[in-house]
Amino acid sequence: MRLGAMFTARLRRNPMTRAVLSKFARGAQILAVSSTVFCKELVDVLRDRRTLIFMLVIPTVAIPVLMWVTSELMTHFMEKLAREQVDVLVLNPEAAPELVEEVKKRANPLGRARRVAELLKAKGVGESELAMTKGEPRAFLRLLEKKGIDPEELATELRVAVEDSDFKLEPGAIIQNAFPPNFRLVTELDPRDYDHPAEREQVLLEAVRTDEIAAAIEFADDALEKLASGDSTEIRVYYLDASDRSSTALSGLRRIFKSLGKQMVAERLLSKELPAGFANPVKVRPERLPGPGMLVKFLSQILPYMILIFAFMGAMYPAIDLGAGEKERGTLETLLVAPVSRLSIVLGKFGVILVAALVSAVLATISLSVSLYLGIFSTISLVSGGSFSFSIQEALVALLMIVPISGIFAALLLALSIFAKSFKEGQSYASPLQMVIIMPAFVSFVPGVKLDWLMASIPVVNVSLALKEIFTGNLDQHWAHVGVIFLSTSIFAGLLLWFATWWFQREQVLFRS
Amino acid sequence: MTAGSQALVSVVSLTKIFNDRQRGREEIRAVDAVSFEAHAGEIFGLLGVNGAGKTTTLRLLATMLKPTSGEASVCGHSISKEPQAVRRRIGFMSTATSLYGRLSAKEMVTYFGRLNGMSREAIEQRILELFDLFGMNEFRDRRCDKLSTGMKQKVSIVRTVLHDPEVMIFDEPTVGLDVLTSRTIVDFVKDCRTRGKCVLFSTHIMEEMEKLCDRVGVIHDGKLLACEPVEALKSRTPSGRVEDAFVKLVGEPA
Ligand SMILES: Nc1ncnc2c1ncn2[C@@H]1O[C@H](COP(=O)(O)OP(=O)(O)OP(=O)(O)O)[C@@H](O)[C@H]1O
Ligand SMILES: [Mg+2]
Repeated sequence: MRLGAMFTARLRRNPMTRAVLSKFARGAQILAVSSTVFCKELVDVLRDRRTLIFMLVIPTVAIPVLMWVTSELMTHFMEKLAREQVDVLVLNPEAAPELVEEVKKRANPLGRARRVAELLKAKGVGESELAMTKGEPRAFLRLLEKKGIDPEELATELRVAVEDSDFKLEPGAIIQNAFPPNFRLVTELDPRDYDHPAEREQVLLEAVRTDEIAAAIEFADDALEKLASGDSTEIRVYYLDASDRSSTALSGLRRIFKSLGKQMVAERLLSKELPAGFANPVKVRPERLPGPGMLVKFLSQILPYMILIFAFMGAMYPAIDLGAGEKERGTLETLLVAPVSRLSIVLGKFGVILVAALVSAVLATISLSVSLYLGIFSTISLVSGGSFSFSIQEALVALLMIVPISGIFAALLLALSIFAKSFKEGQSYASPLQMVIIMPAFVSFVPGVKLDWLMASIPVVNVSLALKEIFTGNLDQHWAHVGVIFLSTSIFAGLLLWFATWWFQREQVLFRS
Repeated sequence: MTAGSQALVSVVSLTKIFNDRQRGREEIRAVDAVSFEAHAGEIFGLLGVNGAGKTTTLRLLATMLKPTSGEASVCGHSISKEPQAVRRRIGFMSTATSLYGRLSAKEMVTYFGRLNGMSREAIEQRILELFDLFGMNEFRDRRCDKLSTGMKQKVSIVRTVLHDPEVMIFDEPTVGLDVLTSRTIVDFVKDCRTRGKCVLFSTHIMEEMEKLCDRVGVIHDGKLLACEPVEALKSRTPSGRVEDAFVKLVGEPA
């Protein structure tokens, strides 16, 4: 006992240990003061409605509402587009009257469509839901699965309903029958001269742009001869890329001529007594592996971007409030005459801003994940499908990625905010910074960009990509990257915090005239 | 004021130069080689027109600004070498030391008690005492931005004296206040003297200075033109009025 006491006493007298001890005590004191500042600033900020809205309400409510509205609007207009009848101009009907008749027959089989749609409706599949899955057979299958409908059974019933024993079992065919291309063939525009090729394009363009017609078709002069001799012929479709209505018409015409072509091949094969597979020797059948599905892909693209934006937005208002707000409300001098170090003040403020950034980012993540999980966005859940889940480990590593980058945001915003003399000025500095941050975060949407050492060395981009890999479930391949990104981002955040502290000591910053 | 009492504040050729970039890098000597002393139990007034350098001088003493040259000490602590020790010994109040509007009166005062290193019990004790003294109990839990100007002033006073500092610095504390509210402050400043504090008080109002101050420093264009008891200042002109003495000192406006 006495020996121990003597030892500690000697240790205390040693100048080296005394220096270390006093450093330690000073550090502890700075931390104690900054925690006092932190608690006060937290209370202060939480009593501000603006901050609360940006930190809590927008991340939780804005994402679901915004996405729900977009998805409902999309559903509505896609359905409208699918139902709408448009005019297609036939430039030279006299060249192939038989083909025109065939197209007419297929272009508007409304009776059939109605029967298919009615049957599906009776089974609980609404038209709008069906319209969503148009051109996406896998989505249609998932829709049936969700409604508990057996596809085979459905196909049999449909065959009876449309009185067509050839009716295919493929879901794609069911959708195509429920949503046939809805055209009216017209053979004449207004008495305008469109014989000259150069003028004709102009006239057609004008007609498509004014929605007079959606597209125009033109047969080759020798079309019938070619077909009769067992050859093929080209049908020109004039359309406008920029018009949704026109591109829909193009794909409808494609479908029509494809099915017409199939029927012709079948007839030709029959006449030559060849097997049905003769013209189609190889077929591709995609088999989806039970790995991350489309929903995971979607989430891993959108989440990193959202997280970074919301971390920034959540930090912005408290930062402006705690820096420029002090100047605007004239409390800065009150604070500066308190006998505490500037470092403790900066640390306390920084802590609150960091917490706000994290809360906002985490809330946005939870809100988006939960909304997707509950499937409130019909568009996304139908088109993407599959499920997603994060392990605790992934969630923790993701959080570890977010902390230092939020630290960078917090330190930068605090430095800017301390410089600004008013709330308004602070906002005018933060907005351009927001643009600079958001641009690189967008990298998570760029397809094919993988996290490698080059990418890992670019700030913001690296965090965005690291989060993308984590959410895709590729963490095990990227531990080294994630570790290095965490370290470098933390060091960067630390340097910026050091800068903010130095900045907070400058008279030119605190007492700008 | 008496030779025996110790100088709590001593200022030796304190100078502050601002480089104003907007006005073509012209140098502003806001405080120019100012020297004076202030003692325990006296009220030292700084008298000067707008832009004379009063605020800058007091901010230097409160270590919010760093001097360009010269030195000053508060209770023996150098303002440039031990700023934190200096701030611990002063209570500072000016028109620019507002309250945090979203904190209640009590929270506001408690926060600054904590920043001054006081224990929670000590703060609680002082608050009981001071809130009673100033009749503030009725609004102790009301948010500061909901208080009237007079109530705010009281909270500010309590914030300033909570840690019982030896030196009090007031920078034009009565500007823009009505008679009753400024009365509270004037009474409080007098009370500080009674309790043996050293009070620095800046103003551009002659009557106020005459009523309150024991000694006065006349500051103009950053320079301290005179530093003497109020009586001595008065006797500089035959009329015996402070205003005439002041005008004589700074020279007639051009
Ligand atoms: N942060 C600053 N940057 C540049 N110049 C400054 C700064 N603060 C004060 N000044 C200048 O220093 C001079 C003295 O200003 P100061 O505020 O000390 O005067 P004052 O005596 O308090 O005046 P008032 O009665 O108007 O409060 C003025 O010319 C002012 O413009
Ligand atoms: Mg002033």
